[in-house]
Amino acid sequence: MAHLNYEEGKKVVFKGFVILGIVTIAEVMVALVGKGYIIDGFHLPRFIMYSLMITMSFYKAFYIVFEFMHMRYEVPGLVRSVLMPTLLLIWAVIAFFSEGNTWYHWRKKVNDRPISQFSRAASSHSENSLYHIMDTKNQAQEKPMHAESEKKDSTLEKTHK
Amino acid sequence: MSDTHTTHVEKDKLIQELGYDDHFHEHHHGDKYQTNFLTTYIFSQDHKMIARQFLITGIFWAVIGASMSIIFRLQLGFPDADLSWLKPLLGQWITINDAGIGRLDPEFYYALVTMHGTIIVFFVLTAGLSGTFSNLLIPLQVGARDMASPFLNMLSYWFFFLSSVVMFYSLFISTGPFAGGWTAYPPLSALPQASSGSGAGMTLWTVSLVLFVVSVLLGGMNYITTVLNLRTKGMSMWRMPLTIWAFLVTAILALLSFPVLASGFFLLLFDRGLGTSFYLSDIFINGQALDRIGGSPILYQHLFWFLGHPEVYIIILPAMGIVSEVLSVHARKPIFGYRAMVYSILAIGFLSFIVWAHHMFMSGVNPFISNFFVVFTLIIAVPSAVKVFNWISTLYGGNIRMNTAMLFCIGFVSMFISGGLTGIFLGNSSIDIQQHDTYFVVAHFHIVMGVAAFFGMFAGVYNWFPKMFGRFMNETLGKIHFWVTMIGAYAVFGPMHYIGMAGVPRRYYRFDNFDAFKDFDDLNKFITVAAIITFFAQILFVVNFFWSMYKGKKMTEQNPYGSNSLEWTTPIETGHGNWPGKIPTVQRWAYDYGKDDKEFIPQHTPLAEGEEHSSH
Amino acid sequence: MAAEHTLHAPEIHEGDSVWSGGKEPFKASYGKLMMWYFLLSDAFTFAGFLISYGTLRFSSPTWPVPDFVFSSLPGGFTHKPLIFVTFMTFVLIVSSVTMVRAVQEGHRYNKKGVVFWMLLTILGGLCFLGCQAWEWTTLMGGEHMTIRRNPFGTHIESGVYLEGDGHDIKAGDTFEKGHTYLIHKHEDVWKPLSYKTETGEIKEQQFGPKAFGALFFFITGFHGFHVLSGVIFLLIIMLNVASGLYSQRKNHYEMVEKIGLYWHFVDLVWVFVFLVFYLL
Ligand code: HEM
Ligand SMILES: [Cu+2]
Repeated sequence: MAHLNYEEGKKVVFKGFVILGIVTIAEVMVALVGKGYIIDGFHLPRFIMYSLMITMSFYKAFYIVFEFMHMRYEVPGLVRSVLMPTLLLIWAVIAFFSEGNTWYHWRKKVNDRPISQFSRAASSHSENSLYHIMDTKNQAQEKPMHAESEKKDSTLEKTHK
Repeated sequence: MSDTHTTHVEKDKLIQELGYDDHFHEHHHGDKYQTNFLTTYIFSQDHKMIARQFLITGIFWAVIGASMSIIFRLQLGFPDADLSWLKPLLGQWITINDAGIGRLDPEFYYALVTMHGTIIVFFVLTAGLSGTFSNLLIPLQVGARDMASPFLNMLSYWFFFLSSVVMFYSLFISTGPFAGGWTAYPPLSALPQASSGSGAGMTLWTVSLVLFVVSVLLGGMNYITTVLNLRTKGMSMWRMPLTIWAFLVTAILALLSFPVLASGFFLLLFDRGLGTSFYLSDIFINGQALDRIGGSPILYQHLFWFLGHPEVYIIILPAMGIVSEVLSVHARKPIFGYRAMVYSILAIGFLSFIVWAHHMFMSGVNPFISNFFVVFTLIIAVPSAVKVFNWISTLYGGNIRMNTAMLFCIGFVSMFISGGLTGIFLGNSSIDIQQHDTYFVVAHFHIVMGVAAFFGMFAGVYNWFPKMFGRFMNETLGKIHFWVTMIGAYAVFGPMHYIGMAGVPRRYYRFDNFDAFKDFDDLNKFITVAAIITFFAQILFVVNFFWSMYKGKKMTEQNPYGSNSLEWTTPIETGHGNWPGKIPTVQRWAYDYGKDDKEFIPQHTPLAEGEEHSSH
Repeated sequence: MAAEHTLHAPEIHEGDSVWSGGKEPFKASYGKLMMWYFLLSDAFTFAGFLISYGTLRFSSPTWPVPDFVFSSLPGGFTHKPLIFVTFMTFVLIVSSVTMVRAVQEGHRYNKKGVVFWMLLTILGGLCFLGCQAWEWTTLMGGEHMTIRRNPFGTHIESGVYLEGDGHDIKAGDTFEKGHTYLIHKHEDVWKPLSYKTETGEIKEQQFGPKAFGALFFFITGFHGFHVLSGVIFLLIIMLNVASGLYSQRKNHYEMVEKIGLYWHFVDLVWVFVFLVFYLL
């Protein structure tokens, strides 16, 4: 901390600790309050909750980079050379996530189509029994997968009992 | 203090008078780096030696990679020929039937194609090209004693070496090397039981490439910090030769894209070894579903091509840099549009990160997001075209020396134009529906990347051979090499456009049993013959290379080409630290050719009375 | 300014720009630059992982709710959502703070101070690793979540349980859409509960998306591996400091600064791991 003297430096460190601590607690509080753990029956809309958490996390990241890692005291060129490349990730995030979303919809489409067992299996829907059926270790207790009929989700047979 | 280094006398008066003394030789008396055979030739920390190590390892791999292509080309051109004569080389992979006819195992055909791609893309055109020339030229051309961290630089080579050893080993295991294509898409790469190469072969492949990523990162960090911090006095960014700009941007691309490839590989290793399902879903083997659901093979493709597309520019940018420099030196003209060249390198570097999914139009990418990728992809044509026009304008009206290096530069420009044009076809997703995974794609990337990058590399080797080995390569052999390669490459890849347009798919073992493709038998024979001839021209190059190392014409002048850049101000026998005394101070940009009636003005020459800086 | 703490900045000529050669344009030594660029590339590695996480999560119809999954405390406490991981986060923050202190003492050439604060940092790192080991053990041993299987499912419709699990759930308990449940294992046999949906259908609990468990162990494991290697490097460098090695060097305690950068980076990554796994 070349621009600060030693005592000032120490103070900044303490301040950093307090700030990061408070923000972390705030994040957790948003999670707990938002999901109704603290005040009974009170929920925050997901969108607000998530935006708050993401904003606070980015603030923490910013604080760590700029204070603890000294970025604030480096010359602007260095700051830019390190931070600008990370902007490339914005497009990566958009493209990847939109892809994930597409897979979800396409799988759902396949899954909702009332046909063969193969397209049923082609779903990662958690209501689909594949998740435990194919658990190799416990295969003995599980249902055989091809014997499944269309209505299998609504049958009560429990071969594992 | 300054008279302690009397043993190091600088002959160049300009350096003596204007250079600056960094007291390097006082700290490095007796040259601790090069005290015995081991530290001089093997674990060398000298950038020039490391460059030679990269080059020679690269040549080793190039010969292997090219030989593989000849074998699978034989299979494609002459599917009924008797290949039993290859039995001593390929062993179990040639099956001899009752009639005594030797056949290439189809499984091994795929292994050959895969290994050919991996080896050429990563080991030859990444390590062998940018490894060699970044190491050789960055310190010499920016006026540095060595890389920022010679030690990490050495490690960079040795990680490459380790990676090479692992890959080489995988060629000999009984189940064969990986055979699922150089892009290693799952599920072939994720399920060890998927094919014989997917087992141990794929494990070794992944390990080798992870080591390779480490090597690239160590190298890249070094190149960037050297260019930033170790430029000599007066060497501002806008005075750097274009080679250095290209290497700098290449290193940045590598630093940002290879880690993402590594992430992809780590996830892949988990899928292979620990039974996770990051890339797997709904896999049926013999009608039985695997216990692998919820992942997506397209995720791998995204991660791979997030590296993969920058990677093709990691390959071509160094070649572009070399070509710009060599073209200007031998045309005896300043490079046309220096700043435009720099900006287009930067633009290409940036764009290369946002276009990756153009390799996946046909993989099931959401067509909506594809549209953006189409637009971004087509924009790349703009900076690429800027570069092409600038090269041509540099040649225009030049006092051209038609030596081998220059010929390869011109060949590069020709190849880059031909291949770039087909890229524009492919970049349109609607046209790509027809072209994807056909020989059209094969032709596109071999011309624009394969051949063009090799041409850049050849230009570099012919041009800087004297700097590396103190001797010249044989010009006559070089010219034969050039003409055969130039004509041969077009003969090989030109027809591929045609058969690709007709729909012939890539990565097929043979075509003669498809009615639709029967017509192309003769063309396939022609391609194979052309490939063999071209291959022998490359052998000629290798012979020339090693022969010239020992027997070539000796270099007698320090600056044989009348070149401006700093590497030619070092002594013919360039020792550790590059300059025996002071480091030259740079007074002007690198391209003062034919200025004020002088043929060339080296960078460390001060402005004459009344002379102005060339505007650029 | 900043030039002082790079300790051997080259002489600056007046009038010409920092880019004109012979100088460090970023006023940082090559070693520090290399550390920064290494961290940049490492950030891309983690970005690769976290983006893959997001992609798979988007592609999955359900995802376990973190405050249900991460709600145990040492000593057998359950249903204390996020307390433990908040503690872990604090440990990491504290160790970052002590690291900054070590770097500051380095600037004052106070060898003892550097060693003292580095030692605390190492202890913080070890404490974090210990917590992570406990967390993993609980998830794997107690709740049977592994890299290949995820017993944490989420309801996609509201309904009422037809049987109890012998823990918190009794027959007749109702649940709402979006609630996460844990499928228990008794004597090595999975016991998914059956329930009746609002439309009267009778169904049975299903396993959650495999990717959840796999990504959790993979990414926190990769982060933990960074912590571990950070601890090892810290230890080596601390011993070097104690031996007086760096006080003879031209750049003095720059090595401490560099490992400090790395250590803060580990904390930085945790900010995002914490966000995506425990909060969102
Ligand atoms: C105007 C510029 C370019 C455009 C628009 C372009 C476009 C494309 C497209 C759309 C593909 C995918 C084709 C398919 O698989 O269906 C492709 C493949 C490829 N391109 Fe380009 N490209 C351009 C320049 C380059 C350059 C300069 C290089 C290398 C230096 C290159 C290397 C490759 C490679 C290696 C592949 C194929 C990889 C594989 O599938 O194995 N391209 N190109
Ligand atoms: Cu591409």
